[in-house]
Amino acid sequence: MNDLAVNLEGVCKKYPHFTLDNVSLQLPTGGIMGFIGANGAGKSTTIRILMGLVYQDRGTVTVLGHVMPAQQAAAKRDIGFVSEDMRLFKTATLAWHMEFIRSIYPGWDEAHAQVLVKRFDLNPAQKIKGLSHGQRVKATLLLALARRPRLLVLDEPTTGLDPVARREVLGALMEVLTDDRRTILFSSHNTLDVEQISDRITFIDRGRIIDSGDKEAYLDRWRRIRLDVPAGVVLPSLPGAVGGVGRGGASGGGEGGRVAVITTGQFDSSMTAAYQRAGAVVHAIESMTLEEIFVANVMSRREGPAL
Amino acid sequence: MNTPINTPISTSINTPINTPFNTHMIKRLVVKDWYLQRGAIVPYLGWGALALTLLALGGEYWFFAGSILLLTLLIAKGIHLAMATVIEERTGQTLSFVMSLPISPMEYTIAKVLANMLLFLTAWMALSIGTIAVIAGREAVPDGLIPFTAVILVDIFVGYCLILGVALVTESQAWTIWSIVVTNLLFQAVLYYVSHIPTVAIEMKGAEVVWSRPVLLVLLAEAAAIVLTLAITFYLRSRKTDFL
Repeated sequence: MNDLAVNLEGVCKKYPHFTLDNVSLQLPTGGIMGFIGANGAGKSTTIRILMGLVYQDRGTVTVLGHVMPAQQAAAKRDIGFVSEDMRLFKTATLAWHMEFIRSIYPGWDEAHAQVLVKRFDLNPAQKIKGLSHGQRVKATLLLALARRPRLLVLDEPTTGLDPVARREVLGALMEVLTDDRRTILFSSHNTLDVEQISDRITFIDRGRIIDSGDKEAYLDRWRRIRLDVPAGVVLPSLPGAVGGVGRGGASGGGEGGRVAVITTGQFDSSMTAAYQRAGAVVHAIESMTLEEIFVANVMSRREGPAL
Repeated sequence: MNTPINTPISTSINTPINTPFNTHMIKRLVVKDWYLQRGAIVPYLGWGALALTLLALGGEYWFFAGSILLLTLLIAKGIHLAMATVIEERTGQTLSFVMSLPISPMEYTIAKVLANMLLFLTAWMALSIGTIAVIAGREAVPDGLIPFTAVILVDIFVGYCLILGVALVTESQAWTIWSIVVTNLLFQAVLYYVSHIPTVAIEMKGAEVVWSRPVLLVLLAEAAAIVLTLAITFYLRSRKTDFL
């Protein structure tokens, strides 16, 4: 599949206390993938593997047509990488860093760099050690964006930013999205940021990809159904119902109470019909935020039942 | 902005991927380390000038003080460089920035070794030439001391290569500190051993520079140790699978 910017197949990496287990991930060229997981879920390890910074024990990784890690130098010519734990040289100025990157990447766009300097309210003459965390992240992002990479890999870039800095960073990323040749992989545990800019979603938990797909389809198929359940009524166990919280003890597949809340990742109208046939009254069908979907997905996987 | 990196952009970054090494990127990284560490050379050269002045003053006491200061400076410079260019890059989290650039881990290692050699040898050469010039120029100091001095100076370079190698392979502050301890013990051992070789002990007090067989053998062993240390460093780095 030549139109895949990123393709991971069966990737494994074993550490003493963590294992990345059989990770497969496909990101088409021009796609914007939100890579969501809790802290320690394996997001950074996956990203480091696809950047060639950590070698996988098993599996294949292809980035922009280059086999990783063997061809990482060639692949990284077209990748802009920013991670939350990335630091610049504190004794050098931002201007020095800009010049350093310009000397490496022929595609460096100085005009765009100057626009970003103004937008991010940065002072090129300032040494990195004098920058706040937010300014440092914006400086790092500037260095990645101004080289006009084909693939932008962002590992928790908005972590620790104040609301204004976060807005500025997301704004810059939104602008990048207008170029549909640009591919972005955006990892975060902040689902709100991911929801704003991504068109594809991948969830990772405990070193395993637990779900991946189109964001809109995701949001469409996940619903929270509130039911009034008369005493004695047994709710049917339906595929995709990943749990329920009930006052009076009702739950997905459970029995009796006053109110049941069913969360499903495979919602369609036949589901509510089935509950109604069982004697329950559908009180409300609610859309879910990405965060709610993520938490429901993770918790259901950890507790066992398949989606 | 007049920095060393402000040079014309090379297009060699677009060389085919089957080119053995990206020399453009290696050069950029060497220049980067030179730029970031160049200021740290100046104090060593300044103190080195003071050490050479002490050597040149005359009198056994000043000569001894100058020698100790000189050796201390060279050893400290090596430790400083390995810590600042390798360990600090990891602990300061600038390694992920560098490794995100279009380089392979092996190119990074080559650049790091070259930059360190350039930075260390700049100070080492200047102070070594100065030391030998002072010995040759002073009547009171026998010229026969020059081969022994060369052995000591090269031994410091061997120790520096060992510290750099350990830093590059382990990227660990603790391991690097232990390598400093071991290197200094080895340095003292070599100093003791060579100075107690009978021919060397006699010739170092003579007026003539004599490159005796034992001295040449020690220098050869030191050269071999440098090559071996760097070869092992490259080999072990080539087997690494985690670079962050």
